[in-house]
Amino acid sequence: MSTATGEASVTPVVVRLKLSLLRNGLRQSAGRRAAYIASAVLVLLFAALQLIGLIALRGNTHAASVALPLVAVLALGWAVMPLFFPSGDETLDPTRLVMLPLRPRPLVRALLVASLVGIGPLFTLCMLVGSVVAVAHGTAAYAVSVLAVPLGLLVCVALARAVAAANIRLLTSRRGRDLAVLSGLVIAVGTQVLNFGMQRLGSAGLGQLDPAADVLGWVPPASAVGAVDAVSEGSYGVGAARLALSALALVGLLFLWSRSLTRLMTSPDGSTLQAAEPARDRTRTAGLGRFLPSGRTGTIMERSLRYVWRDPKTKAAWVTSLAIGLIFPVFNALQGTGSIYFACFASGMLGVLMYNQFGQDTSAFWMVAMTISSTRDAYVELRGRALALLVISLPYATFVTVVTTAMIGDWPALPEVLGLSFALLGAMLATGAWSSARFPYSIPQEGYKNVAPGQTGLAFLSIFGGMIAAALLCVPVIALTIWLNLTADGEDWTWLLLPLGTAYGVGITLLGLRLSAPRTAAKLPEILTAVSKG
Amino acid sequence: MTQGAVGGVAVRVRGLWKRFGQQAAVAGVDLELPAGRFIGLVGPNGAGKTTTLSMVTGLLRPDQGTVEVVGHDVWRDPVEVKARIGVLPEGLRLFDRLSGRELLAYTGRLRGLPGTEVDKRATQLLDVLDLAGAQHKLVVDYSTGMRKKIGLAAALLHNPEVLFLDEPFEGVDPVSAQTIRGVLERYTASGATVVFSSHVMELVESLCDWVAVMAAGRIRAHGTLSEVRGEAPSLQHAFLELVGANARDTGANLDWLGGGAR
Repeated sequence: MSTATGEASVTPVVVRLKLSLLRNGLRQSAGRRAAYIASAVLVLLFAALQLIGLIALRGNTHAASVALPLVAVLALGWAVMPLFFPSGDETLDPTRLVMLPLRPRPLVRALLVASLVGIGPLFTLCMLVGSVVAVAHGTAAYAVSVLAVPLGLLVCVALARAVAAANIRLLTSRRGRDLAVLSGLVIAVGTQVLNFGMQRLGSAGLGQLDPAADVLGWVPPASAVGAVDAVSEGSYGVGAARLALSALALVGLLFLWSRSLTRLMTSPDGSTLQAAEPARDRTRTAGLGRFLPSGRTGTIMERSLRYVWRDPKTKAAWVTSLAIGLIFPVFNALQGTGSIYFACFASGMLGVLMYNQFGQDTSAFWMVAMTISSTRDAYVELRGRALALLVISLPYATFVTVVTTAMIGDWPALPEVLGLSFALLGAMLATGAWSSARFPYSIPQEGYKNVAPGQTGLAFLSIFGGMIAAALLCVPVIALTIWLNLTADGEDWTWLLLPLGTAYGVGITLLGLRLSAPRTAAKLPEILTAVSKG
Repeated sequence: MTQGAVGGVAVRVRGLWKRFGQQAAVAGVDLELPAGRFIGLVGPNGAGKTTTLSMVTGLLRPDQGTVEVVGHDVWRDPVEVKARIGVLPEGLRLFDRLSGRELLAYTGRLRGLPGTEVDKRATQLLDVLDLAGAQHKLVVDYSTGMRKKIGLAAALLHNPEVLFLDEPFEGVDPVSAQTIRGVLERYTASGATVVFSSHVMELVESLCDWVAVMAAGRIRAHGTLSEVRGEAPSLQHAFLELVGANARDTGANLDWLGGGAR
């Protein structure tokens, strides 16, 4: 089908499709509607504030130094967002359109127009308008602005689409899906770097951004705003070059997007390609079994540890926990805002992995359910999983604590922090096991979502409630630490916290497992149903 | 190992109910499945076959009713029941990030079998099921037929008395289907019971000696193949009559379909 009318009619159809999807999504529940409206209001308020701020910046010598990085960060957001929320926009997923007789060119046009609908593009538009208002001076600059704003917006949207399309192709192959592990790292490192940067900026002033702005003025889509800035200062040549650069980027992105769309729609999907892959990893973890206890416990540990490496969702969770657990105390120590007690963060982050154990199995939990016929079986199952987690988290928490201590240089505090760390880890394992049995929820295997629709509240309740409970469970150890540090001769006795904290952690873990086992054994079918959604 | 003798009852179901919201997926099933037979549970999509099998195997809690497998109540005596049954469910995943061999090693050891015995049986099962070449490949990379076969191997590993298979031939190529069939026939010949669900009548007719026909959450007929078939020329005809689908006329309404004109 290549008639002109056919091609022309795709765009309104896709736009209507997007509107219908949006409307139907909101129609599903009042809660979702409320959440959408609330987030829309928040985003628009934020956009308005930024807009006012940018307009107020007009005339400031550093106006361009703020506007350009802002647009660059915005574009980065557009590039990264589809990786984390691909399902936020169902028209984003071209595999859903694969059976329709559409050519790439009209499809690209239609999807591009459709993606201009929504709060995100509106927010971006506000930012871009604010940015050009802040930097534009003179008629020529205003004229360039009229081009620069839509160009910037289109580059952002095309960037998101191109990344999403390239990524969905990646995601359909298992190897590619395994790369999803990077997403956790990007968020973890990104937030910390941003945090670091903001603190620097707060102490050193806006002038710090000038060199960045010089570079970003040439990076699309910030170069579109850079063009307005250049024209305002009378450098018409530079302005034209920058504008051309953005236009070129748009063309390039559209080309890349269209190419990956074509490939996506004409090539076999990952399932076919995988079957042809040669057999591998025959003995990679074969040696593992020799170091594990025999019987059910060792079998469970081996399976859990294999999954840490092989299952992308599990791997992503682990890498995120390991990265944040290290970055948070170390970055804070680097900035001089650190405390040796931040090392406990590693324990907390790793302990989160104990939550929703059965959800991590997905519907394969039936294989476990078929072999649990008594409370004892359930206890051994949960204990095996806790032990597997400890194999990695115990040395890691120790490592992070030692590194943090070394950076801060407070060696006498090492034993007490280690003790506190182990107690917290124990409390997290205990509450994790308990909430695994009580609040199981599904982890969808497709995409980046970690909770199936309708179970978000459950997941939230389970993890945050559990973390608060774990912190409360640690109160005796924390109180002892504070007391020893406050009393006159207490410093001499803080080493006691290492054996006491460790023993407390072990005890509370065992208690947690004991309390979770009967519930697990009694509710196997209910757990299976809960973890089989999505 | 004592296998259920022919003439005994392998599975006894009484007053089984399951509702999902307003919809009754299983609406009062009473059934006695004889031991030592190759039993087919047939019915159209949505008849409640999977729901029934899930409840019989302890994977789904019934709203009402009791299930006994070789004389033990599934819900009150799981220790006795779970050791005696093998299950291959439909629509549930396996631990597919393990290789075929690792999956069998894992399942067998979880079942409490000694490691060397598990490895010996796994080798034989992989051989017979024609999976030896793919045993070190991750199950996630297996084809549908290979998945059904590795699932069957996992279900047989502990030599159960009763084997429950939900749509074991769905999406399976003819070669794999023949392999599965061969293994199942050898297994029932030794006196064990196989209960499997399907909506392919020809298959059931050629494999089973005992059938139960299910539609809309109820058992419409059960008995030996010849009893259920009755006067009808084939099980397909008998089945369509039983579920009342024979009268539907598709002739006049789709007169535009076919012929090439648009």
